[in-house]
Amino acid sequence: MRWIWIDKFTEFHSGQSAVAVKNVTLAEEHLHDHFPGFPVMPECLMIEAMAQTAGILVGEAKKFQEKVILAKIKKCVFFDYVKPGDTLKIEAKIESIAPEAAGTTGKITRQDKLIAEIDLMFSHIDKNLGGKKFPEENFVFTDTFKSLMQGIAD
Amino acid sequence: MVMTRDEIFEKVQTVLVDALGVDEEEITPKSTLMADLGAESIDFLDIVFRLEKAFGIKIPREELFPAESLMNNPDLISNGKLTAAGLAELRTRMPHTDITEFQKDPSINKLGSLFTVNAIVNYIETKLK
Amino acid sequence: MRFILIDKIVLLEAGKRIKAVKCVSLAEEYLADHFPVFPVLPGVLLLQGLIESASWLVRETENFAHSMILLEEARNIKYKSFLAPGSQIEYTVDAKTIEENISSFTGIGISEGQEIVQGSFGLRHFNLADENPAMAAVDDRVIENMKKRWQLLRQ
Repeated sequence: MRWIWIDKFTEFHSGQSAVAVKNVTLAEEHLHDHFPGFPVMPECLMIEAMAQTAGILVGEAKKFQEKVILAKIKKCVFFDYVKPGDTLKIEAKIESIAPEAAGTTGKITRQDKLIAEIDLMFSHIDKNLGGKKFPEENFVFTDTFKSLMQGIAD
Repeated sequence: MVMTRDEIFEKVQTVLVDALGVDEEEITPKSTLMADLGAESIDFLDIVFRLEKAFGIKIPREELFPAESLMNNPDLISNGKLTAAGLAELRTRMPHTDITEFQKDPSINKLGSLFTVNAIVNYIETKLK
Repeated sequence: MRFILIDKIVLLEAGKRIKAVKCVSLAEEYLADHFPVFPVLPGVLLLQGLIESASWLVRETENFAHSMILLEEARNIKYKSFLAPGSQIEYTVDAKTIEENISSFTGIGISEGQEIVQGSFGLRHFNLADENPAMAAVDDRVIENMKKRWQLLRQ
């Protein structure tokens, strides 16, 4: 299982908003545990899809110089469940951004149906978490994530 | 924007309910953000963002919650307490807060007790003038 | 790789509270991506640990009446520290309400005395047959499978 919960960006407006897409497929092993007999995408992984979309948006706004991590799920609400064969559209917007943190809002839709609304807060860990040790290099934004951005950023 | 103190308090109350997940009743003017309402460092940032949005103003975080720059300066802290210079700096940074009680035992561990709902309301009142 | 984010139930008070533990191991594949050189359990999987704990409390309390138990909303889920391989986390979930089709909880995850995750959330529980009676057999199959998993967790 790879920890990548979006498949590609379809829109990217630096410092403002982005749209990504996630396909849900029976080829994903975790679906067979959630639940055995009726696979649905776990809500926590939809939150992660939003965290990755919004996190890359925030990271790119700082030219990937900061290690941006999820610090708080402010609020999330789910309106329907998602099945294999569904394609999700994940839209994220930066609401606030400061040297130490950023706040985002967003929604997930399947065609025209609203699936979820998710508001998140990210922390830039070099500027917070004083005393905790972690490596110097930016381990958050690996090449895998940066490759999602190829050809799309405006 | 002309708002009464009560109107400001109500809006601050809503912000804190949303940011901290506490009930409205728990938020009184004297409530301290950390000890009474359970706020932590990430919450302080969330609160600043929400206040900016609610009141349409810009709030540099160090203006509202000037803890970090005080704590990292050796001239202002000695043996875990603020020095006279530290107290003077605190008064300049937080004119919206009454530090008389804090002065009696200016331990940095107690700095959090200054961050009350009243302090936020005072700060917003000044910013909106 | 299996999608089960708790390993063992250590306490259960029907209708009220559940405690569960999870061991974190480098054997968990997603750690290779999260993050390379700094593996830590992803925040959403810490939330999933809370969700699974609460779901089992609901299943046991309502005697496995529903097949589907899903997250409906979460608020102020705060991440306070990192959880690394070799560590163990204990989740404590307290029920605020458990009704027929919805429930609400507060939860916390602690490892070696350190708070890792904390927040409030609500679940919804239903059977597929509620919307489509033809799905009753699917509900039964899911419930049977979840009962088997419950046996594993309670050993």
